[in-house]
Amino acid sequence: MSHLGRRFGTLLGLVLLCVTLWILSPYFLTPSNLVNVVQQTAVNAIIAVGMTFVIVSAGIDLSVGSIVAFSGVILASCLQAGAPLPLALLAGLAAGGACGLVNGLLITWGRLPPFISTLGMMSVARGAALVYTQGRPISGFEADFRFLATGELGFLPVPVLIMGVVYLLSHLLLSRTRFGRYTYAIGGNEEAAQLSGVSVRFHKSMIYAFSGLTSAVAAIILTARLNSAQPIAGFMYELDAIAAAVIGGTSLLGGEGTLTGTLIGALIMGVLRNGLNLLGVSSFLQQIVIGSVIITAVLVDALLKRRAS
Amino acid sequence: MKRRDIWLTLLALALGAAGCHRGEPADSGKPRVALVLKTLNNPFFIEMQRGAREAADRLGVDLVVQAAERELDVEKQMQIIENLIQTRVDALCVTPSGSKEIIPAILKANRAGIPVLILDTKVDASAEQEGARFDTFIGSDNYQGGRLAGQFILEQLGGKAKVAILEGIPGHETGDNRLRGFRDAIAGAPGVEIVASQPANWERDQGFNVFQNILEAHPEVDTLFACSDLMALGALEAIAAAGRTGEIRIIGFDALAEARQAIAEGTMLASIAQFSDEMGRLAVENALRRIRGEEIPSSIPVRIELITKEQVDTR
Amino acid sequence: MKAITKAFPGVKALESVDFDLHAGEVHVLLGENGAGKSTLMKILSGAYQRDAGEILLQGQPVEIDTPASAQHLGISTIYQEFNLIPQMSAAENIFLGREPSKWGGIIDRERLHGEAALLLAELGASLDPSTAVRSLSVAEQQMVEVAKALSVEARILIMDEPTSALSGGEIRLLFETIRGLQRKGVGIVYISHRLEELAEIGSRVTVLRDGLVVATHRVGEVALDELIRQMANRELKDHFPRQREAPGDELLRVEDLGARGRFHGVSFSLCRGEILGLAGLVGSGRTALARVLFGIDRFDSGSLWVHGRPVSLNSPRQAIAAGLGFLTEDRKAEGLVLNLSLRENVSLPSLDRLSSWGVVNRKAEQELARGFVESLRIKTPSMEQPVVYLSGGNQQKVVLSKWLAGRADVFIFDEPTRGIDIGSKVEIYQLMNRLTAEGAGILMISSELPEILGMSDRILVMHEGRIAARFTHLEADQEKLLQAALGRGVSRAGAGAQGRPAE
Repeated sequence: MSHLGRRFGTLLGLVLLCVTLWILSPYFLTPSNLVNVVQQTAVNAIIAVGMTFVIVSAGIDLSVGSIVAFSGVILASCLQAGAPLPLALLAGLAAGGACGLVNGLLITWGRLPPFISTLGMMSVARGAALVYTQGRPISGFEADFRFLATGELGFLPVPVLIMGVVYLLSHLLLSRTRFGRYTYAIGGNEEAAQLSGVSVRFHKSMIYAFSGLTSAVAAIILTARLNSAQPIAGFMYELDAIAAAVIGGTSLLGGEGTLTGTLIGALIMGVLRNGLNLLGVSSFLQQIVIGSVIITAVLVDALLKRRAS
Repeated sequence: MKRRDIWLTLLALALGAAGCHRGEPADSGKPRVALVLKTLNNPFFIEMQRGAREAADRLGVDLVVQAAERELDVEKQMQIIENLIQTRVDALCVTPSGSKEIIPAILKANRAGIPVLILDTKVDASAEQEGARFDTFIGSDNYQGGRLAGQFILEQLGGKAKVAILEGIPGHETGDNRLRGFRDAIAGAPGVEIVASQPANWERDQGFNVFQNILEAHPEVDTLFACSDLMALGALEAIAAAGRTGEIRIIGFDALAEARQAIAEGTMLASIAQFSDEMGRLAVENALRRIRGEEIPSSIPVRIELITKEQVDTR
Repeated sequence: MKAITKAFPGVKALESVDFDLHAGEVHVLLGENGAGKSTLMKILSGAYQRDAGEILLQGQPVEIDTPASAQHLGISTIYQEFNLIPQMSAAENIFLGREPSKWGGIIDRERLHGEAALLLAELGASLDPSTAVRSLSVAEQQMVEVAKALSVEARILIMDEPTSALSGGEIRLLFETIRGLQRKGVGIVYISHRLEELAEIGSRVTVLRDGLVVATHRVGEVALDELIRQMANRELKDHFPRQREAPGDELLRVEDLGARGRFHGVSFSLCRGEILGLAGLVGSGRTALARVLFGIDRFDSGSLWVHGRPVSLNSPRQAIAAGLGFLTEDRKAEGLVLNLSLRENVSLPSLDRLSSWGVVNRKAEQELARGFVESLRIKTPSMEQPVVYLSGGNQQKVVLSKWLAGRADVFIFDEPTRGIDIGSKVEIYQLMNRLTAEGAGILMISSELPEILGMSDRILVMHEGRIAARFTHLEADQEKLLQAALGRGVSRAGAGAQGRPAE
């Protein structure tokens, strides 16, 4: 009941935001702009999927932005070396998943706090991307790869389609499977999960690997969209992803959160950015507004929880 | 119900903010020109904005200025351009955050039939193959600027120097060209040696840190070429902190007001002046000509000069 | 406190409750879990707000809206779960937020330690105030809590289950402290499940049931049976309805098991149909042994057989696979995922069985949970209720369901009835009967001697990491168990003869 209410709260916020922008700007509610918004949201929304799993398990992943850069340049260099598209995509995904897995192993076997190990990975993956490319972007790809960002199936751009598939599968993973249930249990009470026979180490490692994987999916879209893989791409994206999850009602204390919430959270951030651009709000003011939204969302969440208990 | 109240309050806040800064409606009859900068926390671009704003006021142009929060955020710049295309501006002036990464955004503007004027940073040559068209490039020749700095060392400083270089973000056309120009100018000069060359990513605090480290590793350094004044000013502080003010000759780039003052005081030796306010002015003027259907040249050079104590004092 | 009323969503926790406390008395508050004792005291200590009624302090109406304002009025509370910061020293904890300072802000460490030492000495506790709290025993930590409460010149002290984690000697010491406080005129509200403590320490007793006051008595004017009847509203003929079976095959055998620094030379076996009681003081190695048996911690000597096969259990997962189930001492910290639903908690150890291709079969899961809600009579509005909102007894039933749902037949129950009302206790005892009748074996760790005596078929007593004595249920009595647990007296010789047949 309270879960449902909270989700409706964020959904209502999104709808109100849209209605207001529709009143204020004649350009907002056009089909081309709406497609535009969703497309702009896709990268952050996909990173936020893995982030949601991590936060639900009572962890944090600060390395997602750097993993985006790292798996992006791996993917790009494979493409430039003439590897077939599926192989290059697989290499990019593997790179992201591997970074995430290392995070997971450091946390479970190395017993490092998630904050520390992913902070380290943030720097290592970024540095690796810079070393690998010698700081230079890798650009210029074949049309079949760029289709992943510029193509359309029906009226839907491919990135939106990819985001939809990622969300559908991940939602099922989180809400219907053993893996998802263990994610909640580990976040809610790791000790109890362990004593109930959950292989906490294995599952935690998998959760961080999954987060690396979704970052790599986002890297594919980002690289195709800019027709370039930059070693400095994804700078500070971890904060946007955390914000999306938190606006969507995921508790940083763990054990709570849904992907529908995260999707709405990511859309709120995307719509807000888009709307502020359409309205010609200065970039400084935009930061204040976006920051206020994040704080307000969490404040509302805390108020609701306090009232529920 | 309380929840909704809070959301409403929030929206009111956002809209209040938006309301104050809202652009004019599209059908005011004035031509609308968008200026997309790399960032607005760098004096170089603030000057550019000022020049553009003055020209816009003079010519009756409705000017929209937008910038990403971070200079290197190519994705956010792309989003801004996409969103501006949605508002159907009449012309788009852009300082590309990435010379290759800007190409998909130019393509989108082309598709929407909006003229594109590129400022300051050149677009990669591959744009042509991709079919991306832009109307003009307005900027100074950074390579030439780098050469000016190199020649200054050879001619004015007796051709003897142990040089440290602070680079911009690797892979950026602007910084790469300045660096190349500088290196080409001093190549083959027997007395000039580059002992260290490190990126400080255009930032003042990184300029401080990186140069502090260079000083530790290479105390013999006597000359610094920084690819931007911000990094030079950061390095200046590092030199002061090391108690070596005045011992190291600093040549910067951009001739910011603060750098000019340092040159006047003698703590900095020279800087290469780019006239970013002039770029802004030329951008708005040429955008207007283009909107009116006039021809504009495909490349509009902006002057570039070496500034030393002499020039600063005579102003 | 007059006509206090408080409602939570869906429950009326208190209904027009009157409660008074005189200076220098110990007023015991009795009631089953969920009767409203804690809620009433949380209103008095400012943690909750009342919906109606008023609070008078020395005849004056007062508003207590935060714990700070309660403290300001001289009302201090010692909760069952301590509010101490483990990394900080005893003295720092005692004066937390009110550190004596000098030169405008610098903490005066000498005065801090001096005053703390004085307070602790007054309580008869001999501990160094500079010791970090995490390295103190539970009883010592409680002394720190009491000292903390006294340091603010409390006139009213609320103690919630203060003896639940203490051993016999420590309880004596606590009672001495309480009597000292009484003489100083401090009024004490004492919440407890242990009826036997009532006669010893209480002045008056108030019984709460379902948010209503049933009666207030002077201690000595009322029989214990009468109080039990009032609490439960039903006669409890037999607290310990143990039905004993003839033991069957051996389920678990432990030989010369040792874990460095915790216990050593432990040997015993557990058969089908048997309850093996494990008594001993807190810290005697009982829980450490249980943790090793369940694969949480490693053992470094000896051997372990389950179902006649030697095993080395490296994780709870392997222990569960071998047929073990572990009802932990602290159900909130180790037994339950509080914000997950009843259904999700019950099925957690059985998800492997309840899912195919990794997808959980929700229908089977619901069936499973519903079965236990019915058979164990768990009081809950629905299967989807987060377990955090259930009462202690019902939470414990959920933890039990978790293990019953699996295929365990070797159960380790660590303090199965701690903090649970009498009604639920009996239900849990009956469940243990049912399990042994079905062929399971139970190793039951308990600090409550009557429970050990009443429910066990055989009894082991641990002392300082060794098995100090073994009894059959016919041989044992409270005194013998206590003697063995304290590691002295006649039974020690007996322990030598009986205790280590394997050597």
